[in-house]
Amino acid sequence: MLDAAPLKLLLKKEGAALVGIGDISKALPREIRHLDRGVAIAVDQGLNRGSIDILCGLQRYAEDWLRDRGFRNLSIPPDSDRRTGKLITKLYKLFCHKTAATCSGLGWIGKNGLIINSRYGSQLSWATVLTDAPLKTDKAVTGSECGECELCVKHCPSGALKGDNWSLSDPLRQMVNYDRCKALKNNRQRFAEKPNCGLCVTICPYSRKGRKKSIKQKIDLPSFP
Amino acid sequence: MADDAKKKEIFEKLRNGVIQYDEDACREGAQEALDAGLDANEAIFDGLVSGMEEVGRLFEAQEYFVPEILMCADALYAGLDILKPHCKQMDLGVKGSVVIGTVEGDVHDIGKNLVKMMFDVAGFNVYDLGRDVPLDKFVEEQLKTDSELVCLSAMMTTSMVGMPKVIEKIKEKNPDCMIMIGGAPTSKELADKWGADGYAEDASNALKEAIKMVAFLKKLRDEKLKK
Repeated sequence: MLDAAPLKLLLKKEGAALVGIGDISKALPREIRHLDRGVAIAVDQGLNRGSIDILCGLQRYAEDWLRDRGFRNLSIPPDSDRRTGKLITKLYKLFCHKTAATCSGLGWIGKNGLIINSRYGSQLSWATVLTDAPLKTDKAVTGSECGECELCVKHCPSGALKGDNWSLSDPLRQMVNYDRCKALKNNRQRFAEKPNCGLCVTICPYSRKGRKKSIKQKIDLPSFP
Repeated sequence: MADDAKKKEIFEKLRNGVIQYDEDACREGAQEALDAGLDANEAIFDGLVSGMEEVGRLFEAQEYFVPEILMCADALYAGLDILKPHCKQMDLGVKGSVVIGTVEGDVHDIGKNLVKMMFDVAGFNVYDLGRDVPLDKFVEEQLKTDSELVCLSAMMTTSMVGMPKVIEKIKEKNPDCMIMIGGAPTSKELADKWGADGYAEDASNALKEAIKMVAFLKKLRDEKLKK
């Protein structure tokens, strides 16, 4: 077992909000089965070019750290930075960041189909570095903590959310009707610069709580009684 | 004209660039080769392909896995893109064109892409139909381009069953055309049974076969040069 604390510390120092190590061996296709640890990295910067650059930078730090210790690694870049036209990009879609995030205990999959972290909500941007280093793993999240809350389901303008609770034991359940979500996105593309409506992110109570916290941290407000 | 030491250094740079999947090194090396007035064909075969041969060895020794292979292939392409326009058409006696694609119902194209790369390197005209290709499209494209070779790939048993139909149709219209099949569910026996001319087992074997093929082409070329 390899102590993962130095790696986590390094990534957090460089701007990661969350870092977790997950045992993902059960979720891997044949081509990458030897890379059985997933380093899940999240940043809390909103969805913009900046957060993608930070994530890619963090991945490079993790790659170097692992390579220096003689281990293999494969970076799965953030979903919104999927370059095409290269052979290696074919492998990216074999792995989903949500797997690494849940397996490393950083969140569950909410009714909105997104990773929800109990502190930050679902506004995080994710990237994963796969490796064969025997890093000590964190405890996986096994069930949803959405409870009875259905705000995202009720507010989704395309009616794409089904309102089911996620569980690690039922990973293939389809929670979002992606066709509906995509149809709305395509409609918005005609007039909006950012086609994502993002309501399911902003409406989530966990996200709102997280945003309050990060704003407070940024401008250092005194806390009111 | 560049002296031998410089030439060796550039080829070594290309070779190592591929092995260490360093795209920038391959790009630089390729540019240096052109600037130094080296022969582009030579740079491809003695630099890039020689690196890919080593990668094939590392893969067989299980030091490299599929992700590394793909990154090495990307690095090779980075160099190839620069060198290719300066290539003289090679006269190997086998030059020609090839139609390649993954058959209908199948979206797995990693193996197909690796095989395609080796054809690219060998100077073939490659007509890549992509993945999930309707069966008739292969026949059409073969007739249209008059290619000597058609390569069919499938990863799933369900899509593989389309292969004999394509083979039959192509052979019916053009008996001289060679057909290679590949992918996890195929086998030498099936290839024989369906009347295919060549076979590669899966992505790794396709790569090995393709590397062997290009190595063979390289040998032919070297022998030709000696004469």
